[in-house]
Amino acid sequence: MTSNPLLPHIATIKSIRQETDDVKTFQMVFDDQAVAENFVHKPGQVALISVLGEGESTISITSSPTGKGFLEFSIKKVGRLTSVLHELEAGAKVAVRGPYGNCFPYEAMKGKDLLFIGGGIGLAPLRSLIDFVLVEENRNAYGNVEVLYGARSRADLCFKEDLFNKWPSCKDTKVYTTIDREEPDWCGHVGFVPAYLEELKPLSTNKLAVTCGPPVMIKFILRSLQKLGFTDERIITTLEMKMKCCIGKCGRCNIGSKYVCLDGPVFTLKQLKELPPEF
Amino acid sequence: MQNKILKKDRIAGFLDHLAASHNLIAPVSEDKAFTVFKKVLSAAEVDLNFTNTLIPPKNYFFPAAEKLFAFSTNGGDIIIEEPQRSEVSVIFGIRPCDIKSLSLLDPVFYGAFPDTYYSSKRENTLLIGLSCREVLPTCFCKAFGTHPTDGVGADLMLTDLGNYYLVEILTAKGSSLLERNTGFFSDETTDSAVLEKELLKDKLSADFIRKPDLSGVKQILDKVFEHPYWGELAAKCIGCGICTFVCPTCHCFNMIDTSRPDASGSRYRCHDSCMFPGFTKMAGGHNPRPTKVERVRNRFMHKLKYHLDRYNLEGCTGCGRCIAKCPVNIDISQIITNIREVVKDD
Repeated sequence: MTSNPLLPHIATIKSIRQETDDVKTFQMVFDDQAVAENFVHKPGQVALISVLGEGESTISITSSPTGKGFLEFSIKKVGRLTSVLHELEAGAKVAVRGPYGNCFPYEAMKGKDLLFIGGGIGLAPLRSLIDFVLVEENRNAYGNVEVLYGARSRADLCFKEDLFNKWPSCKDTKVYTTIDREEPDWCGHVGFVPAYLEELKPLSTNKLAVTCGPPVMIKFILRSLQKLGFTDERIITTLEMKMKCCIGKCGRCNIGSKYVCLDGPVFTLKQLKELPPEF
Repeated sequence: MQNKILKKDRIAGFLDHLAASHNLIAPVSEDKAFTVFKKVLSAAEVDLNFTNTLIPPKNYFFPAAEKLFAFSTNGGDIIIEEPQRSEVSVIFGIRPCDIKSLSLLDPVFYGAFPDTYYSSKRENTLLIGLSCREVLPTCFCKAFGTHPTDGVGADLMLTDLGNYYLVEILTAKGSSLLERNTGFFSDETTDSAVLEKELLKDKLSADFIRKPDLSGVKQILDKVFEHPYWGELAAKCIGCGICTFVCPTCHCFNMIDTSRPDASGSRYRCHDSCMFPGFTKMAGGHNPRPTKVERVRNRFMHKLKYHLDRYNLEGCTGCGRCIAKCPVNIDISQIITNIREVVKDD
């Protein structure tokens, strides 16, 4: 019988890391080894996480495919299902299906410098690609890496271990972090991400920009990137839409004739400009 | 193509035989108020004096509520169980517009991730079409290239010609069904029946009141995403969603879990409607289609442009159900006609 894409597979939450007040990173492992081996994702793809009896949500896969045997999802508590997920403890059973969607163009990015710009929970989908690029076996295929990340406050920064220890120690990698307002024990940059970007003035030559964050940040980031000389096809973002099936049938994640679940979530600014402004 | 004759006095026997050997779905009159497709156990339940059913036969393949799986716990393990797959079925009496609607839904439910709930029924179901005898004031299938006597997409096509039905055998599946039921059909020459059907076809062709012209409409819609016309339409719409409820090509659904205290339960999918504000609203509160303007525009763009862009197939069959049921007379055939004028005024 053909496999049924709407059937999720049981997985166990192995560990939970509290990133911020309302963001937790869940590490999950499929109970069935065969399912785990069949689940081969690419950076930027999404999966659906179920708490059976409560429902299902589409969440970007935060871990790189180079991390074998587990999946990580960084989840902000914003709605019904994410609130239920936040109540779970390590050892709890969930169900997962996927991976779905396109991915970051990690093949076409080879040989290029990469500028990642994230705001708040927007770093979660970028992290799968950052870790993919920075892992030793792939590192030499890519040029310099810059990560620019901001959040409202120090307490709202996700992935602190990656930001302050892991990524800065990688070859040819710089990490810039900013928070919106002054704080007593913060000696880093203060200000919004787009302003910091214009201050840093990264060169756009042979470079691709990959960005994700709150809509208002994205709006200003796109403007700043264009000022810095990034053309529309070298600006890449990943979209969020309400999804139920994630396989192009339930009809709710369309932007014009495109389904974000099948044709996205990753789009270049050039592609987005060809779609109706309905996202 | 081969033809047969089915005399009117044999139809009840044929239907009884089909009901005994298959899961038979046929038009049934509900309190003489409207007709719907339902499972029937005998010919006596079938109502063949209908123009078209209130709810399209799409609902057999894609039910308004359908169990996707059940789950239960056994010790520490969670067990997920799929429902039983469908038996071999026959849909009897499906009209040409509704036969076509299935071919418009197929690329949605197949595609890169074939939907096994839909496909298992689609592949196990024989379609016996029935030509229309009458064109309703709301009908406009002809605008989409379908004719009220077309059998394209069915396995057998029946046309009521007074004392008998002309039976056209359109597929091998249809042919083998007839071979298993030869006793009901006569082998007499069908030349005059074919001629009669041609006369009926000409008569029905002349009966259409609505004749929207689709030529160039898609090209216009490519350019009018931002147009005050959508606001004018939306001002009338009350967002009730009946147009999507009765539509033979709408495929939007929601997925809902139920659970019991013993940690068992089920996941269902239920028809949903792009006309409802919560349809696209995200957990964080952002809604890409926040008002009726975006929602009304999306529905008509989907039917007349997006489906074409994506699958190279129209998203409407011209069945006219949404026109008949809309409480504020929003009329897709009028929109097709008006859009040309609206652009001219600019």
